Amino acid sequence: MDPTERSPKRRRSTDNYVESPPRRRSLSHSPTHGSPKYNLTERPARRSYSRADSDDEADRRYYRDRRSPRSSRSRSRRRSRSPSGAIVTPPPEKPTQLHYQPYFILRGHKKGVAAVKFSPDGRWIASCSSDATIKIWDSKTGELAHTLEGHLAGISTIAWSPDSKILASGSDDKSIRLWDVTTGQPQPVPLLGHHNYIYALAFSPKGNMLVSGSYDEAVFLWDVRAARVMRSLPAHSDPVSGVDFVRDGTLIVSCASDGLIRVWDTATGQCLRTLVHEDNAPVTNVRFSPNGKYVLAWTLDSCIRLWNYIEGKGRCVKTYQGHINKNYSIGGAFGVYGTRDYPYAFVASGSEDGSVVLWDVSSKNVMQRLEGHEGAVLGVDAHPTQQVIVSAGLDRTIRLWRVEESNGEAVAGAKVDGEIETAVAEET
Amino acid sequence: MNLSLVDPFVLAQDCPEALTGRLRSGHSTSIRFSHRGDLLASGRLDGIVVIFDIETNGVARKLRGHTRQVQSLSWSANDRYILSASQDWKCVLWDLKDGSRVRTVRLESPIFIAELHPKNHLLFVAALFEEQPLLVDISSEIPKKLALPSAPLRPQIERDNATEKQAAQDAKQTSTVTVFTPSGDYIISGTNKGWMNIIDTSTRQVQYSTRVTSHLIIYIRTTSSGSHIVVNSSDRIIRTFNLPDLADPSHSFDTMRLEVEHKFQDVVNRLSWNHVSFSSTGEYVTASTWMNHDIYVWERGHGSLVKILEGPKEELSVVEWHPHRPFVAAVGVDSGRVYLWSILTPQRWSALAPDFVEVEENVEYAEREDEFDIQPIEELHKRRLDLEDEEVDVLTVEPRKTAEFQPGEFRMPVLLDIEGSDSEDEVVAVGAGQFRRKSPGAGRDWMNDETQASGDEARKTAAASGSASARSNGTKRRRAE
Repeated sequence: MDPTERSPKRRRSTDNYVESPPRRRSLSHSPTHGSPKYNLTERPARRSYSRADSDDEADRRYYRDRRSPRSSRSRSRRRSRSPSGAIVTPPPEKPTQLHYQPYFILRGHKKGVAAVKFSPDGRWIASCSSDATIKIWDSKTGELAHTLEGHLAGISTIAWSPDSKILASGSDDKSIRLWDVTTGQPQPVPLLGHHNYIYALAFSPKGNMLVSGSYDEAVFLWDVRAARVMRSLPAHSDPVSGVDFVRDGTLIVSCASDGLIRVWDTATGQCLRTLVHEDNAPVTNVRFSPNGKYVLAWTLDSCIRLWNYIEGKGRCVKTYQGHINKNYSIGGAFGVYGTRDYPYAFVASGSEDGSVVLWDVSSKNVMQRLEGHEGAVLGVDAHPTQQVIVSAGLDRTIRLWRVEESNGEAVAGAKVDGEIETAVAEET
Repeated sequence: MNLSLVDPFVLAQDCPEALTGRLRSGHSTSIRFSHRGDLLASGRLDGIVVIFDIETNGVARKLRGHTRQVQSLSWSANDRYILSASQDWKCVLWDLKDGSRVRTVRLESPIFIAELHPKNHLLFVAALFEEQPLLVDISSEIPKKLALPSAPLRPQIERDNATEKQAAQDAKQTSTVTVFTPSGDYIISGTNKGWMNIIDTSTRQVQYSTRVTSHLIIYIRTTSSGSHIVVNSSDRIIRTFNLPDLADPSHSFDTMRLEVEHKFQDVVNRLSWNHVSFSSTGEYVTASTWMNHDIYVWERGHGSLVKILEGPKEELSVVEWHPHRPFVAAVGVDSGRVYLWSILTPQRWSALAPDFVEVEENVEYAEREDEFDIQPIEELHKRRLDLEDEEVDVLTVEPRKTAEFQPGEFRMPVLLDIEGSDSEDEVVAVGAGQFRRKSPGAGRDWMNDETQASGDEARKTAAASGSASARSNGTKRRRAE
């Protein structure tokens, strides 16, 4: 496919590129000479594909090209970190390992899955894909409940309303749709206003507002009831790659590939804080911590940083490393482990080497790597109440992982004990 | 959660400055903020109650049931129920969860004001035109109406010396306004002869009376803590009172004396006041002016006029202060619009660029010792990572300070088809570039129907009173055929 057919925004930096599968969101792989610094003029990662013409062969070739420099670099980083990695021993009751086991593989999407989210009541899993469909799965049984069709192009992002009744989806067809989850029907009027691909979505805690980030560099705040733009935040000078609402809805955070993370006041629409790291790496995803005091940001230098945005002018308090993230906008989540009285938090994120990495929030130690996906893991979410993690990625599968109660020991070579193929049967 | 990031100078402002917004849905006649402050109920001239979402400035719900102008509105403590009183002599208790009518109470005369008990949403008090006020218990389907006295409680000596004429006059007094104290234990009522009575809710006896003025009392409002009362009367004076703690066991009505704390009036223009209200903390008193476009704001500490809110080119009737923000809403009498005043927050430019600092005057820059030292990047990275050794807590939620929304509370359902259900405009588009005026009767079919809101139907079927609803549906169907 001819790259000139794409939007001018994306064409801007195609000149120094090797021809690569155009359906990939991230054309922005690092230059072949393998310089450790990547080019800032590159466009940010794209989460899902927007074109349907490429095949698996191209996929694999792309991976083979990419693999060698990446793995060597990540190894060197890990080595450099290991002396300092001898972090203070956690208190005895605090586990140092997590034991998530695979238990479901959900198949059905025809192309890579860009994002996967648990509903706030924990009952459903929604996944969106570059095949322009959204699938709603029952989180207990793994059965496919609905396939939502209506978008004209790949879907990069989804967001659940807080009452778990509405799902919002943002697509490369520049529209945001609201879906009734119980019927599987879309609202007749999509939310129109963005001039380019929708990249990130988040509902306010009351469900009355929706914030969207787009490739057109704007952040829009929508009145969900009236389906109109309430406010446009003059956010960034590059595609907006992530947005989130704080738990009480008074703040919005947005991030972009210009390397900035901005915190906004919902009521006035004013920027209250801008967080930027010295390295200025493109930020591809951002989330508030469960208590709303920190911001977690994914950057394309294979780091996830936890920011204290309140103190001073904002300070990076933690850097999580050990995964690979150079091209894609990878999702992740906060999860909880430990006992009810002494809960600890972990950060879960996908990685481009096909694993899901879980870090302890305070010690920054990798607590577990969930291996199973073939290809980059783009969407990871944690169940709101149970110890369940869902992940999805370019291999088109959605995998569920859970901690077996009473199972203290890690089981080597755990087997997948159930494969749900219902969706495949329905598709064919 | 935004408070820690907002400029402290902006937070210190507690009085609104400028007209910042307008809300419109039909012709509004009365408004009231919910306790949490995220919703504004507006009663309309056509009897519809509209719930505005203050965050989006959009309509969150429409409640249809009244056929005439809505007179007063009152929220339950959890913001789930709302009581509306209308000029069709009816009070309706609405459930905002599904928009249904929990109770409809028909009273024998026009209603001045109806207010819900602060802790029990199935009990309300209503002041009626030329009737004694009622305490209405709606815990059962058939409401229990209990009359409240309006005659003031006079001291024993006065009672002994009372002439027959005076006794007859006392008996003729009616209450023009009745409100609960924030605890709900007492009702404060104002009469048409200028008396203010404090009535015990449980015994329904007047405990204390004082003559505020010789004119009619228009409106009474208490602060959210119940420590102060503001009284608007037709003698063009607004009075504030210090209310002692009535729940205090050492408190006695025999020794109690209510002293006027401040009198607010405009002696030059001789303005009358349409409506009064307290600010969130009770620090300010606002009043809208009769035949005038301004809202006066007095500070209660010194009793001085601090601000006149201007903007709309029309008289304003009901004025309400947001329960915890410097934010004032008022209804325009002519247009029926709701005008909003709040503070203007300037964008701090240093927030946009973290390496910029706003300085008052020039500062000589002193470079750091190692600022221009060349160090290997790996070294820097490593040092930076080593510094990140603090414990972080991303889970613990700090206890709430304000009445912000917390998970687990009643959440207003988000209706997606609210705008499509009926358009606000008098003019409707009939084609490309073609418009026509809406016919006056259009969209008012619900007035003739027994079954109205969809939530109502659900409630009726749930109540298994199938026969009644079937009959009313039957008539409708026959008409349709």
